[in-house]
Amino acid sequence: MNNLQQTARVGLFFLLGLALTWVTFETLSGGKLFKNKGYTLIAGFESLKELKDGDEVRMAGVKIGVVEKTRLAGRRAEAVLRIDPGTKIANDATASIVMAGLIGTNYIGIDLGSEGSPPLADGAEIKTKVTPDINTIMTEIGNLGQKLEGALSSFGTTINGDGKGGGLFQKLDKLVTENSEKVGATMTNLQEITTKLNKGEGTIGRLINDPTLHDQLVAAVSEIQATAAQAKTFVADAQGIIAQVKSGKGALGTLVYDETAADNLRSTVANLRSVSDKLAKGEGTLGKLINDDTLYISAQSTIKKADRALDGLGDSGPITAVGIVANSLF
Amino acid sequence: MKQITIILEGFGSTLLLLVRSLSYLPSLPRQRARFIEQCYMIGYTTLPIVAILSFFIGSVLALQAGYAMQNFGAKQFIGSLVGLSMARELGPVMVAILLAGRVGSAITAELASMKVYQEIDALVTMNIPPARMLVMPRLAAVLVMVPVLAIIADLVGWFGGAIVAKYVSFISIEPEGYFSVLRRYMKFGEDVAGGLIKAEIFGFGVVLVCCNIGLNTRGGPREIGAAVTRAVVVSLILILVLDYFVTKALM
Repeated sequence: MNNLQQTARVGLFFLLGLALTWVTFETLSGGKLFKNKGYTLIAGFESLKELKDGDEVRMAGVKIGVVEKTRLAGRRAEAVLRIDPGTKIANDATASIVMAGLIGTNYIGIDLGSEGSPPLADGAEIKTKVTPDINTIMTEIGNLGQKLEGALSSFGTTINGDGKGGGLFQKLDKLVTENSEKVGATMTNLQEITTKLNKGEGTIGRLINDPTLHDQLVAAVSEIQATAAQAKTFVADAQGIIAQVKSGKGALGTLVYDETAADNLRSTVANLRSVSDKLAKGEGTLGKLINDDTLYISAQSTIKKADRALDGLGDSGPITAVGIVANSLF
Repeated sequence: MKQITIILEGFGSTLLLLVRSLSYLPSLPRQRARFIEQCYMIGYTTLPIVAILSFFIGSVLALQAGYAMQNFGAKQFIGSLVGLSMARELGPVMVAILLAGRVGSAITAELASMKVYQEIDALVTMNIPPARMLVMPRLAAVLVMVPVLAIIADLVGWFGGAIVAKYVSFISIEPEGYFSVLRRYMKFGEDVAGGLIKAEIFGFGVVLVCCNIGLNTRGGPREIGAAVTRAVVVSLILILVLDYFVTKALM
């Protein structure tokens, strides 16, 4: 290999190294080579959060530029956005800092804005809005945690007691401990009862276990059935009787269906009524007997006299007594 | 005690050689041919092995990172992981280790045989200091060539990682995403330039140590082999020990 060729190769190699270093430098430092393409917009925020130089600018999810620079400007933070040439951003579009992942990757998201509004010019300021970031969410979760803790501690107080009355479990425990004998006795009784039931002792046990009752029940039902059959024949007989009555046969039939008998009965009833009326008025012998107490009074006095006569009978003998009775009677 | 003396002697002679070589730096233009030859040896002929190794180191880095990161959904950061690891650590260290194995051993073998066969003595007799003719061009060449090798190692490693990230089924990250993450989390000044400085320091140290061990060889042909072994071992230790301190200093 001649010297010249070797020198050329070394020179080429060195130049290659320089070129690669330069390319790497350009790529990693955001590339001055590409820096003057497109136009810039300024987005002011209260806080840029995790936004860094070189983060993407996306419109509706499509990359349209990069964050060229971040800086403090007075009371706010500004991000200078380098937007690709040819991308028009409506002047009512809104920029916000969007989280792409939990590990601190962010980009600036710009919405499409309304159709037909004029595009923003180079160096113009874009409207911004604040979106909750992971820290805000974490703070919210922290507040939630505190509330939960409060709720849980009051729940815990209910369960564990506030040191005075004892908590729910303590009370329950006390209740169970105090009544354990009773509960145990109840349980024993219950057990005995069920054992007896199982063995067929006692009424209910027999009811459950003894087949006799069932047999009796079946017999009773069959008796009821027989009775029902008899009742049926009875009803049939009754129907037969009623049929006979209807046809005017027999005494009852005559009574019901014979006009003559009815008239007789009616006149009998009328006579009875006149008799009873007279009786009520005290007419006739029987009426007087019923309504006039004279007979009663005279009978009473007669009896008194008889009584006296009987008293005197011991003295004057039977004839006097008969005489007295006769006197008093006539 | 004797061991300590030998180690201290090694330090001292290396520093003396460095100072002497630097004092001959103005004679570099007159030794242009020798400088170019050394550049060719150190840079050009080392390029293929550097490229192959860094490609596969980048690939396996992406593969392992993807395997580990898929469990917690950080796969999209493979680009930055491979990029930073290659540029800050693996590129420079790997280039230095390859230099120690490929160039350092050759330098030691050459200088040790010259010493053993008394060519060095002949040079000294002719009033040609070996530091001027044999050491200084090599140091100058390594200073020029190592950054080139390191930046090539970085880039080839990045591309190796990108290829693995795209074509391995459980990673499947498009090169655009890979390089966008890589660019977002890397700075040329801190990461790449820092790596190049590290490579420069390692390469320079390796060549200096190898020259010194070669020039201090005593005895016969067997000592040449022993000198080469010792040169490579000392170079590797030097690289990894320096790595910690230089990295710390650059942070």
